[in-house]
Amino acid sequence: MKVTVDGRPVDVPAGASVLDATRAAEATVTTLCHDDRLAPAGTCRVCLVRVDGGVVAACVTPATEGMAVQTDDEETVDDARRVVELTVERLPRAALDRSSELADVCARLSIPPASFADVGRGLGSDSSHPYIELDRDLCIACGRCVRMCDEVQGTFALTLVGRGADTVVDTGTGGAWLESACVACGGCVDSCPTGALSEAQATIIPAGQAAVTTQTTCGYCGVGCTLDVHTVDDQIVSIRPALDGKVNRGHACVKGRFAHGFVRSPDRLTAPLVRRNGRLERATWDEALALVAGGLTRIRDTYGPDAIAAISSARSTNEENYLFQKLMRTIIGTNNIDNCSRVCHAPSAAGLTAAFGLSGGTNPADDLDVADCILLAGSNATEAHPVVGARIKQRVLQGARLVVVDPRRTELARLADVHLRGTPGSNVAVFNGIAALLIDEGRIDDEFIARRVDGFDSLRNLVSEYTPDRVEELSGVPAASLREAARLYGTAARPSIIYGLGVTEHAHGTDGVRTLSNLAILRGAVGTPHGGGVNPLRGQNNVQGASDMGALPALLPAYQKVSDAAVLERFAAAWGVPLPDRPGLRIPDMFNAALAGRVKALYVFGEDILQTDPDTNHVRAAVDACEFVVSQEIFLSETAAAADVVLPGASFLEKDGTFVNFDRRFQRVRPALGPPGQARTDFDVIHAVADAMGGDLGCASAADAMDECAHLAPLFGGISHRRLDLEGPVHWPCRDADDPGEGRLYEHGFATVNGRAQLAARPWLPPGEQPDAQYPYTLVTGRRLTHYNAGTMTRRTANLVLAPSEHVDVSPDDAARFGVGDGDRVEIASRRGTVRVAVRVTDDVAPGELFMAFHFPDVAANLLTSDGVDEVTSCPEYKVTAVRMSRA
Amino acid sequence: MGDLQSGTVAPVGIPHRSPVEELQARVGRPAHQALDEIKSAVARKGVVTAADEARAALAANVPVAAVHGAVSYYADLHQRRGRRHVRVCTGTACFVASGGGRHIAQVADELAVEVGERSADGAVSLQPVHCLGYCFGGPAALDGAEPRVGADLADQVAGRAAPRDPEIPVYADTAPVVLRGILDGGPSWQTWAAVLERGGAQRVLHEVEVAGLRGRGGAGFPAAQKWAAVAREGGGGRRFVVANGDEGDPGSFADRLLMERDPSRVLEGLALAGLACGAGQGFVYVRSEYPRAFESVQTAVAEAREAGHLGRDVHGSGIDFEIEVASGAGSYVAGEETSLLRSLAGLRGTVRPRPPFPTQYGLLGRPTAVNNVETLCAVPAIVSDGGQTYARHGVTRETGTLLVCLNERFVRPGVYEVELGTPLGEIVERLGGGLRDGGALRALQVGGPLGGFLGPADLDLPLLESALSRAGGALGHGSLVAIDDRVQFSDLLRHFWEFAAKETCGACTPCREGTRRGAAHPAEASQDESLLHVMGVASLCAFGRAIPRTVRSLLFTYGREG
Repeated sequence: MKVTVDGRPVDVPAGASVLDATRAAEATVTTLCHDDRLAPAGTCRVCLVRVDGGVVAACVTPATEGMAVQTDDEETVDDARRVVELTVERLPRAALDRSSELADVCARLSIPPASFADVGRGLGSDSSHPYIELDRDLCIACGRCVRMCDEVQGTFALTLVGRGADTVVDTGTGGAWLESACVACGGCVDSCPTGALSEAQATIIPAGQAAVTTQTTCGYCGVGCTLDVHTVDDQIVSIRPALDGKVNRGHACVKGRFAHGFVRSPDRLTAPLVRRNGRLERATWDEALALVAGGLTRIRDTYGPDAIAAISSARSTNEENYLFQKLMRTIIGTNNIDNCSRVCHAPSAAGLTAAFGLSGGTNPADDLDVADCILLAGSNATEAHPVVGARIKQRVLQGARLVVVDPRRTELARLADVHLRGTPGSNVAVFNGIAALLIDEGRIDDEFIARRVDGFDSLRNLVSEYTPDRVEELSGVPAASLREAARLYGTAARPSIIYGLGVTEHAHGTDGVRTLSNLAILRGAVGTPHGGGVNPLRGQNNVQGASDMGALPALLPAYQKVSDAAVLERFAAAWGVPLPDRPGLRIPDMFNAALAGRVKALYVFGEDILQTDPDTNHVRAAVDACEFVVSQEIFLSETAAAADVVLPGASFLEKDGTFVNFDRRFQRVRPALGPPGQARTDFDVIHAVADAMGGDLGCASAADAMDECAHLAPLFGGISHRRLDLEGPVHWPCRDADDPGEGRLYEHGFATVNGRAQLAARPWLPPGEQPDAQYPYTLVTGRRLTHYNAGTMTRRTANLVLAPSEHVDVSPDDAARFGVGDGDRVEIASRRGTVRVAVRVTDDVAPGELFMAFHFPDVAANLLTSDGVDEVTSCPEYKVTAVRMSRA
Repeated sequence: MGDLQSGTVAPVGIPHRSPVEELQARVGRPAHQALDEIKSAVARKGVVTAADEARAALAANVPVAAVHGAVSYYADLHQRRGRRHVRVCTGTACFVASGGGRHIAQVADELAVEVGERSADGAVSLQPVHCLGYCFGGPAALDGAEPRVGADLADQVAGRAAPRDPEIPVYADTAPVVLRGILDGGPSWQTWAAVLERGGAQRVLHEVEVAGLRGRGGAGFPAAQKWAAVAREGGGGRRFVVANGDEGDPGSFADRLLMERDPSRVLEGLALAGLACGAGQGFVYVRSEYPRAFESVQTAVAEAREAGHLGRDVHGSGIDFEIEVASGAGSYVAGEETSLLRSLAGLRGTVRPRPPFPTQYGLLGRPTAVNNVETLCAVPAIVSDGGQTYARHGVTRETGTLLVCLNERFVRPGVYEVELGTPLGEIVERLGGGLRDGGALRALQVGGPLGGFLGPADLDLPLLESALSRAGGALGHGSLVAIDDRVQFSDLLRHFWEFAAKETCGACTPCREGTRRGAAHPAEASQDESLLHVMGVASLCAFGRAIPRTVRSLLFTYGREG
């Protein structure tokens, strides 16, 4: 459409508003209730412009062909000024003391402080919440906070109350903020134009100083939110989601937005520690590095390089992972390097690679915007990946159908059209059942299958046994629900599959991924424009990247096999040393090897294996069996406490590099702070260890490391810090500087050997551990919203006020049977250990099932979990543990 | 694939979101039930607690925030109630009837309770409401659900005088169309059965278009055009029709008459509109100030269902049509269609911008036609007689008949069906018989509180939207409130601003803040041209936009301008 704004012609797309047109023309129109994250509300009436003789609110008026818009009409600007004057005349003048959108608007429209009231209305405040503070006197009833909560977060925790001039924001219950449904995503605070809602913990900026803003990528989960970190004097003032964040679009969660207090926690490791007489004591770097170099060298020279094993950190940057695996392979000379994707999404890597060719999700998060059916399997996304969870929720609110496969009745399961609530370990039966229905009911893409798919006949043969009735027997999922799920997924024009650890962390996790992928293949919903593919929600900020960088025992950067002689030769040439060609040990095998005496030294970088790996007693025995253990950490974790040397590293807020998020985006990580005390960035620490061992890893800077990796890894050939700084995030594959990166994979062919997608005929097999008379309950473990993994970071923030301790979720039926209620303590025992924990009664869990997170060391859920692993990838069976419960 | 799209929100140009309504769309029902739960809590205990809100939210499957926001919004839900609850009418006609609102204080004195309060012992509460629809005989109150009407209102409330509950006087100044059922007693649902058998949606659309029927709620939008738009929108998914029985205009009681005395015809009109729109579900939204209308409409729905006029495969036509009746909760602005739809969804009844119009994004985000009760009541006759017959009433472009309501200052107050275009003077003098008790007409409020005030010199204007808007007024819903010289200008001005401040939804700044100023300083605000100007050009809906016009016309009529 052609529109003129102040005489200047602009072209705007159909559906554009007058406000869009004025922005296209770079004209200034003042807004107050508008937020680009939200649908326009048109209520503040400040964005007045003259259109074809009349006055309209620009934000809610559609632009039309040939429209003439005038933004600088004096009378209309006066009208807008009058509206703002009316807005502020009951606000206390103190509203101008803080920087705010309203203060900016007043300045722009020359509205003097005298237009404000001397004092507020006395409407009261709420400071019950550790992060969010409400001063009702500053509320202008624009409703942005409520709309953020509804339209972006989807929690519906807020409302405007009252009518007319009495309208003001309140919590949804009318009670204290802390007791409300608020999940502290911070959206309301970030949108509030007046300061009525503010961040309670935000540091006041000293007069005369300006905050420095550093844009970086969140270091919590794998969503990859872009954050703006505001600092003054090496202190964080506030962290806010970047409005132009590609995945988060100006949204964040309680972790990324608020839980940064850990970074300056007094118990950060600020100096190396070494074990003297059985106790860890402060040491100099020289001392510690000499010990590390000496220990590793001695063991390498005594027992051979394969007596050393290393676990790299999925929390740290790509560059650090690259450097760490290079250290292990070149200076130590072993492939015994793995990362925590082993214990979460190794089955995704294996399954997706086998099905499609590449080790990553198939589609960008953006495809959620057009999905008309979302199949969410084994993921409590609104808690574990809150920003993606919120996007799924919003898409569903907007009309997409939702099928949830989960033993738990999660928030999204409650919203779902169909909730397939199978017993833990029944995924493969359910997925095969859906595949059978798709085939039976002709809801498959025959042409796509014929042209681009292998394995259809054997799949058809296998799944023909998975009738809805049989699936009901195997999984407990009612046949009718299965049919409805198959109908929804099978009739959608753009179905999307999103899944989490509830698919992978099983004895047959890789089969889970394969049989789930089958569904997308059968529908032609992967590698085509009409499908959202198959996408794992990666658990950690850089678990995709750690694997991408080759922190894996059988794979070099970009999934190039160590067993491929040509590949190995190329790397050896580049790195200037011969490289080991035998695949190394996976994490669970490292522990077994340590217990068997084959591994003598363990170098654990940024992972608390004594809290997060299954069967803690077994892991502790393995750690104890090693002659030498190095922990590189930011806190004295359970693992660090057991190490011989602890090297103080840096948090994500202190380092330079990149992360790769769940949808394969390389995103920049930039230091907003320096590491505290003598702590160093992990990049520097790894270099220092190499130096101390007399080696040289090259790659002076993180950017150099990325360049070197790009040179050696064809999939990342076009990635560099320069480019990311210039263009923003880039998806891999990105083969060269001209390659824009592939968000949506396989549109021109699958990356398998023959270019065809591979269906997998896999039977359902029972889980490794099953309830029996002695251990009649099934324990599922996972995450809760407020805390994160081992809790190392979140337990050192006010998130602890929001969730002070762990509890076990018990169904009302079981609670009644045991005569226990909320807060009562029970003992949960498995074949391996016992924990005591308080009960929370909830129908989130089905009778016979229990749920617990592993965020708190005093409720060490992993004392219970088993050493059962996925038969393909050794990923632990965290999701199925047979336990018994008794009153403590 | 068809049903898959049914949940999908239609593209509407300017993106509009209402996630709470989207949530309801997934359930497939508007959550009006939430407010019903709250009302029953109020009736039971006199107050609403957080636990009541939580329970209501659970029952209606909405977030508690939606319920909490609504409770604080609606007058009926947040005032504490005594065991005896009296609603006293503060509408314009009653205000005029008692010579400037004296009855309100009198009733409060009799009950020994402040207006808007509950007595300390919880025995009695007094709620001011803007119009109970007894404008023809006021002042009025509802004691519980029982009317108390007349000049001796306070005595009736005190029990010193016998309660009076007068019937609405009804007249036709032309061959009745809308009042046919009431005056001639013809059976309803005949046209519906006939149309289902022959002609269907096209016949309804055609006849109503030929008739030139326009919305009688005040906006005057062509009904056939609205229905065609709904029928066009939204693919194969659901659509809704809604009868707007929120006759909020103080001075109007025509819709109360229709809903109480001929509800079946309203329902038949709604069914025909539903057929034209391709809607399978209709709602009647009845304001809470009309308890009898609510009951009679509910009874009529039950009867229609019993007689097979509603339900699945009605009369073997293959057409499904159901009607649900919902009651308001005390909000004038709920008569505005976007507000009404939010109210029907159990939400705060704040107005939202249009576009998108409800014909695109209405109830549950689905295409929805909202029509006034009087408009719908004309439809059966139009379809059975043919649109041509109806079009012969009135004048070109403003065809048909209109119900006008005359207040108790007239010698012959009541509801009159008149031809559009009838001169005001004729209505005042010939039909109304002039003012009673030899009173002198000082001002005539036409078209509700936001219509405008005319002086005795303006009575040659014809009863037409075009003519009245040219004169700075509006046809509105056709009410004529005669104001005699017992009423002081300053009282009238304050009365108006207080009404505006009390009833503004508060969504947009100019109206929210402007009415606040007006109520606080009526004279000053009425002379504040910049304030009036900005309210007029910048307010979100017709409520705020019409305030300056009304104020100016009042000033002009009383010679107080500038």
